[in-house]
Amino acid sequence: MVIERHWKKWVYFYIPLTLFIIGTLFPFYWMLITAVRPDAELYRSWRAVNNTPFWTLQPTLAHVQDLLARTTFPRWLWNTFFIAIVSTGISLACGLLAGYALARLRFPMAGLLGTSIFVTYLVPPTLLFIPLADIVRNFHLGNTPWALILTYPTFLIPFCTWLLMGYFKTIPKELEECARIDGASRFGAMVRIIFPIAVPGILSAGIFAFTLSWNEFIYALIFLSSPERKTVPVGVVSELIRGDIYFWGQLMAGALLGSVPVAFIYSFFVEHYVAGLTGSVKG
Amino acid sequence: MALLRPRDVQQPVLARLLDNERALAAVLLAPAVLILAVFIAYPFVMGVWLSLSSTSVGNPGRFVGLQNFLKAWNDSIFQTTFQNTFVYTFWATIFKLALGMWLALLLNRHFRGKRFVRAAMLLPFIIPTVLSTFAWRWMFDPTFSVLNWLLYRTGLIVTKLPFLSDGTWALWCAIVVNTWRGMPFFAITLLAGLQTINPDLQEAASLDGANAWQRFWHVTWPLLKPVTIVVVVFSIIQTFSDFQLIYVLTGGGPANSTHLLATYAYQIGVATGLLGEGAAISLFMFPVLLAVVWIQLRYLRRLEGA
Amino acid sequence: MDTLDAEKTPIPAVDRRTFIKVSGAVGLAAAAGGLEGILAAKRAPAYAQGTKLHIVRWNDFIPEADVELRRQAPEASKALGAEVTFEFINANDLQPRITAAIQSGSGADIIQMLWNWPHLYAGGIVDLSDVAEPIGKAQGGFYDVFNSAAKVGGKWLAVPHSIVGNAIAYRRSWHAEIGVTAFPKTWDEWRQVGKKLKAKGRPVGQALGHSFADPPTFAYPLLWDFGGLETDKSGKKVVINSKGAVESVKFMQAFWKDACDEGGLAWDDTNNNRAFHAGELSATLNGASIYIVAKRQKDKIKDEKGEPMVQDIEHEALLPAGPAGRFSLYYPLQHAVMKYSKNQKPAKDFLKWLHQKENFEKWFEANGAYSVGSTKVWEEHALWSKVDKPLRIFRQAARNTLMLGHAGPATAKATESYTKYVVVDMFARAVQGMKAEDAVRWAEGELKKIYEG
Repeated sequence: MVIERHWKKWVYFYIPLTLFIIGTLFPFYWMLITAVRPDAELYRSWRAVNNTPFWTLQPTLAHVQDLLARTTFPRWLWNTFFIAIVSTGISLACGLLAGYALARLRFPMAGLLGTSIFVTYLVPPTLLFIPLADIVRNFHLGNTPWALILTYPTFLIPFCTWLLMGYFKTIPKELEECARIDGASRFGAMVRIIFPIAVPGILSAGIFAFTLSWNEFIYALIFLSSPERKTVPVGVVSELIRGDIYFWGQLMAGALLGSVPVAFIYSFFVEHYVAGLTGSVKG
Repeated sequence: MALLRPRDVQQPVLARLLDNERALAAVLLAPAVLILAVFIAYPFVMGVWLSLSSTSVGNPGRFVGLQNFLKAWNDSIFQTTFQNTFVYTFWATIFKLALGMWLALLLNRHFRGKRFVRAAMLLPFIIPTVLSTFAWRWMFDPTFSVLNWLLYRTGLIVTKLPFLSDGTWALWCAIVVNTWRGMPFFAITLLAGLQTINPDLQEAASLDGANAWQRFWHVTWPLLKPVTIVVVVFSIIQTFSDFQLIYVLTGGGPANSTHLLATYAYQIGVATGLLGEGAAISLFMFPVLLAVVWIQLRYLRRLEGA
Repeated sequence: MDTLDAEKTPIPAVDRRTFIKVSGAVGLAAAAGGLEGILAAKRAPAYAQGTKLHIVRWNDFIPEADVELRRQAPEASKALGAEVTFEFINANDLQPRITAAIQSGSGADIIQMLWNWPHLYAGGIVDLSDVAEPIGKAQGGFYDVFNSAAKVGGKWLAVPHSIVGNAIAYRRSWHAEIGVTAFPKTWDEWRQVGKKLKAKGRPVGQALGHSFADPPTFAYPLLWDFGGLETDKSGKKVVINSKGAVESVKFMQAFWKDACDEGGLAWDDTNNNRAFHAGELSATLNGASIYIVAKRQKDKIKDEKGEPMVQDIEHEALLPAGPAGRFSLYYPLQHAVMKYSKNQKPAKDFLKWLHQKENFEKWFEANGAYSVGSTKVWEEHALWSKVDKPLRIFRQAARNTLMLGHAGPATAKATESYTKYVVVDMFARAVQGMKAEDAVRWAEGELKKIYEG
């Protein structure tokens, strides 16, 4: 390793890193403090003498309680989770198979097909949601989680396919060939040799896909209508903003509660995520 | 794949079929292609048809050729929007790349709490954009901005800054928020790339007398280039077609100065009900993205080939 | 003291019981079979078992109003023999829902409409004349504004429901401190008063961003007051490039600089509420929500002396007058029945039920003067003598309002101009430094593409 002097380490490492941490996390602190701040303190202008934006002396859980009492927040959380998990699962399965085929098998028009799958990722959702509403109706999916579970893969599959295709390319062909010589079928080699090696890649594609579905707003807004079926982003926005009144405390409490569970799960996966991407992006 | 147990000796026909490369490829690609064909191909064709028609809500239109595109092109708001979209994408991507790279280099070191910091850095990327943008809007609030409070208290300003009330400021604020949100993805992905680089290379360069910048530029960067291009492609796609952030932060105001193609298409298509024109505006994105991606992928292939 | 419209025409002392009796009688007189017959017979109509009615409305600024509707849902279900469910969504999200619903031919049976949306969605909603006419007739007639907003080609495409009025909310004591006891009656006077107040750090607050209510309800009347118009009466010829329009823009530039909080360019409908409650603003144009929230949260929203701020809030009914007169723009709300709905008959019956005096009244009361009725009879309601004085000015608010597109008809073109914020942005551009003449010319170009294109 390169040896550094003490002050240098501060200037080049600790200070920038601290700034990054502050910059990244401040909005979260701000959400937290807004969520626990009593209403009376909330609306103090930027130059008010008694304004103490960074702390509060009377933290309250009233907003959180109100959020849980007034809305079906836990339901939303569950809905979002369920929809994200299932659509991610479907997309991963499709992406895994398609990615393997595109990376490893020779067949006519492979290049064209690969490109077209990727290109679907470029179609703007603002163009798609109206015709999609048509399809959702034809399949009688309106106001069911399946409306989202089946439409989210439209942007998840291209992504997963592409990422995993890259990953498969980094896995040496010899591994498969050895297995084939030992008598395994092509399919068997794929399932038993290649897929286990690709686990980090699958994980990182899964995490990314999960984040995208967790985030989605416009389809969820259009296709779901009952309050108890909504997802977190749509539910929070439609129940906590009333015309010219925002329930800031509840809104921020919702934002926070909506991201913390995922953050918790991610903290376990982050190392795999890094490892997985390493493989796939090399391809 | 769960349906087919790999004990294929018992199913010789199927096994033989699956051993045929083309047949296997068809089987493997079928689910993905099926879903995409149903849920994208048809809507996409419909979208293109809309853009060529005079459809408005509840009134099936007739074919009007490129009229919607021409109308948009000559519209002063559209011109601003088009330009905004490029400015927004360009600067946000530059910032995300620069800051993400820097953060990745910092996180690539060993320090206490590394795991925790890495996970924490991902937070902005996890939280639903709509909700985090509301938090930012609250921080930029013209009356209650904590940032104004901070600058005022530290004596840096005497009058409040017009974060979202001035067109130029507002667009830059949107760029900042986008950077904040997207930077962690860059950082983590680049970190992943960094970890594949053999530390010995650095060591060797260092022994040759290279300083930190030279080491980065001549050793790390060339190896990191392919990863970087992939991340940049994804980021450009996401940023160029960004909708939620602007929709929540400014709604395109003040005076239409912060519209992006997606939000303006939405305003025309949904708020005004002119579906044809809205679709045409959305479609302006497609060739641009296609071109950007094509150029970058070509570059990537060349790097790989080299 | 202020001279309020409400004081000029004192509220007749009608107590609640008389009101119900009178209006109930009118209601029965208007009963043309249908729902009333059903109700009289006390049995559910023969709709198919399990018929469901899905109604989408915005979530009301006054949460209690939604609570009341939710409470009424089972009653309505019983009366109609169909299961009634309400869905409340953010007002800004109504349009995407309507668009997707009409285009895909599926979704809610009844959707709330704002402004003149019935014109916009004319192709996707059904004629409700048979529902609207009797309601109007029974209840003293709909306000004029609905004729332009909800009537398309002589047919009622939506049943007028209510109107959200707006008025200038201002701080009585701050104005008194500078010797102003009656709110300024002309724009120029307001500018003078506002200048003094802004000098003391108490500006006027006005949203000029992109949101659906506050910016247009300010910008359009300002234009009209100075004699500016988007189009002539035909709605086909753009006449905005006029002396009046240039004058209004020049006035706005001066007013903005002298009297307003310049952050307003980024404001949406919510900002002035918060800023006002934080003691930042001397006056602002808003619905009754500023007052109502200040009253409900008396212990939280205080003025600089630590007293509940609500005691210091006064309302002025209308925006000031300009050389050409004194106009206003409030937004009307209606309900439309969707063409694709398989439950059009029960949907119509539901709207009749909703507008029955005793049902509507409960919602009206829960609303506490925030929304006023769509028919004139609600001006006489006992609520008006019960609510606080500053709220009473909303009583007749709906009488004078014009509609988008004035002086032309309120067509879908007028909505396009509104959703593109052309008029709002004309002012917004000017206060950001564009020359008044250029801002008007810019608006002319945009409007020509809309109205003459």
